Amino acid sequence: MNIWVYVLRRLLYVIPILLGVCLIIFVLFNVVAGDPTHLLLGKHATAKQMAELRHELGLDRPWFFQYLDLVKSAFTFDFGRSWSTKQSITTMISEGALPSLTLTIPGFVLTTIFSVSLSLLVAFYRGSFFDRFSVFICVGLMSISSLAYILFGQWFFAYYLGWFEISGYDSEFPNWIPYVQLPVLIWIILSIGPDLRFFRTIMLDEVYQDYVRTARSKGLGEKVILFKHVLKNAMIPIITYVVIQIPFLILGALLIESFFGIPGLGGITLNAINSSDFPVIRAMTVLSAVAYIIFSVITDVLYTIVDPRVRLK
Amino acid sequence: MSEKVLEVKNLKVEFNTDRGVATAVNGVNFDVYKGKTIGIVGESGSGKSVSALSIMRLIPNPPGRISGGEILFNGENLLNIPMEDMRRIRGNKIAMIFQEPMTSLNPVFTVGNQIEEVLELHQSHLSPKDRREKAVDMLRLVGIPSPEKRVTEYPHQMSGGMRQRVMIAMALSCEPDILIADEPTTALDVTIQAQILELMNKLQKELGMGIIMITHDLGVVAETCDDVAVMYCGQIVEHADVKTLFNHPQHPYTKGLIESIPSFDSTSGKSKEKLATIEGMVPSLFDLPEGCNFQDRCAYATEECRSKEPSLRPIASEHEVSCFNPLK
Repeated sequence: MNIWVYVLRRLLYVIPILLGVCLIIFVLFNVVAGDPTHLLLGKHATAKQMAELRHELGLDRPWFFQYLDLVKSAFTFDFGRSWSTKQSITTMISEGALPSLTLTIPGFVLTTIFSVSLSLLVAFYRGSFFDRFSVFICVGLMSISSLAYILFGQWFFAYYLGWFEISGYDSEFPNWIPYVQLPVLIWIILSIGPDLRFFRTIMLDEVYQDYVRTARSKGLGEKVILFKHVLKNAMIPIITYVVIQIPFLILGALLIESFFGIPGLGGITLNAINSSDFPVIRAMTVLSAVAYIIFSVITDVLYTIVDPRVRLK
Repeated sequence: MSEKVLEVKNLKVEFNTDRGVATAVNGVNFDVYKGKTIGIVGESGSGKSVSALSIMRLIPNPPGRISGGEILFNGENLLNIPMEDMRRIRGNKIAMIFQEPMTSLNPVFTVGNQIEEVLELHQSHLSPKDRREKAVDMLRLVGIPSPEKRVTEYPHQMSGGMRQRVMIAMALSCEPDILIADEPTTALDVTIQAQILELMNKLQKELGMGIIMITHDLGVVAETCDDVAVMYCGQIVEHADVKTLFNHPQHPYTKGLIESIPSFDSTSGKSKEKLATIEGMVPSLFDLPEGCNFQDRCAYATEECRSKEPSLRPIASEHEVSCFNPLK
C-alpha cells in the first residue's frame, strides 16, 4: 500500500476524533464551567444586563449551534474575540506563537540531540562509574524546582556575571537571540534529566537483546553495534517520546516565559486563566488537541518508515 | 584422526553474583578437529553454553570472567590476543549460531543486509554487488527457496526454521574453520529440527568445518556428533566417541541421561518400560558438595566419592571418565 494513501486514511480518522474532542471541550466549558456572565458582570448585575450579555456572546442560542461553532473553529482556526481584550484570538495566538517557538524549538532540539547522544555513550559504558554518575546527576537535576534554576540563573549568570539578558524580548529577527539564550539553557537543564534517563533505559533494553550478541559474534565493533544496530531499534520508542512533545512546544513554557518577560503563548494562556477569558482558554485547548492529534498521525507514519514490522493496512 | 583446529585447555569461567563467585566452568578440556563434530551435552547450568561463549570471548564481563586456561586456535591463545584481533576471527574463522532464531537476527534490517554485513567486514575485497550475489548463494546453500526474493525480506517475514537457516547462512558465509552451534534446534519443531541437523551435516561435508554442538538433547548428539563430552556442574565427567558413549557409558550420570531418553518398541507398539529418571537436582554452584559433584544423585556413591574429588582419567583408548566407580 502506498504511504500517501495510508497518510490520507489516517487523516480521515482525525475527523471523528476531533468531533469527539470538541464535544468534551464544549461540555467542559458550557456545562461544567457554568454561566460566565456572573464572572463578567460581577455580583450586582441585573437580570436584564445578564440577558443582554448572553445574547451578545451568543450564549442564548441552541447548544447545538454553539457546538457547531466550536467544531468550525477547530477546522478554520477562527476562534472569535477575547472577552477581556476584544482582540481577535487568531491574531493573539499567531503573535504569541513566534516568541514561544524561539524559546521552545532550540531548547527541544538541543535537549533531544544531547540526551540521545549521551544515552548512547552511557549505554556504551553501562555499569561503569560514568554510567552511575550520569544517573545521579540526572536525578539531582530533576529534584530541583524549575523556579530555583530560573532565579539562580537570572541572579548569577545574568545579573552577577552579566553573561545574558535578565529579561525582555525583541520580536525582530536577530535581536531576540540574546534574550532567549538563558531561557533555552534553563529549558535544557530542566528537560535533560528525564530525557536522558528515559533514553538510557531504552538503550539498555536494546543492548541486552539477542541480536546484539549475534552482531558481536559476527565480529562487529561496539561502535557499529551501538550506532547502527541498537540505535535503529531504539528509534521506535524514541520517536514516540520525541514527536509527541512537539505540539506542546507551541503552547510555550509558562513559567520561563513569565519570568523572562517573553510575550509567548504561555503568558497569554496564563492571563486568560486569571481573567476567566473563556474563548482564549478554549482556543488554546482546541489548538493543542488538534496539534496533538496531527502529531500522533505523524508518529504513526514515522513508525512505518523506521520499523519494517509495522505494516500499512 | 584429522587435523586439530581448536584446543580448549583447562578453561575456567567465573561469574560474580550477589551470592558470591560461581565457577560456571571449572577446568574443561576438549579439542575440535577439522570436519568433525564434538558434542557438549549437559543439563541447564552445566556450563556448556558458557564454554562455547568463552571460545568467542562473548562472556558478558562483568559479571563473567574467564579466569584461567587457554583456548588455542591454530596454535594461538585466543584469550591473550587484543580484542581487535579477536573481532577479525569472530564471524570469519569461528562463527556461532544460537538457540533463539526468533530474536537472534536484527528485526530492522533485511536478512540480505545482515549476511552482507559479515562479508563487508571480513571480505572487504567484494563489491556491494558481489556481496549481494554471495548472500543469495548462501541462502540457496542453506535451502531457502527463491533466495533472490527472500534476500530482501525482514526476519519477521520468516518462520523460526527459516531464520535459523539464515543464521547458518550468515555464520558460514566466510567459510569458518569452526562453527559453534549453541542448542541450534531447541526452539524449533521436531520436523524442522531434523531438517536443520541434516543441513548442518551436509554443509560440514561440503565445507569441512569443525562443529561444536552444544545441546541437552542426546538425540541431536546421536544424529550429528563424532565425539561427545558430558558436562556436569562445570566439569566434563565423561568424554568418548559417540558409539562408545551410547553403547558403554561409564559414568553413572551419562548412563542416567541415556536411560532417560523415551524409547518405543515398534514390535509391541508400547513403551518399553517406565521412563527412568535421575533422582534429585543439580546442586547449586554456590553449594557444591565435598568430593564428587554427582554423589547425592548417584546409586553407586561410596565413602571415597564423598571425600575425594574425582578427575578425568583415561579408561580405554579415546575414552575418559571422571568417576571412582565407573560402570562395567
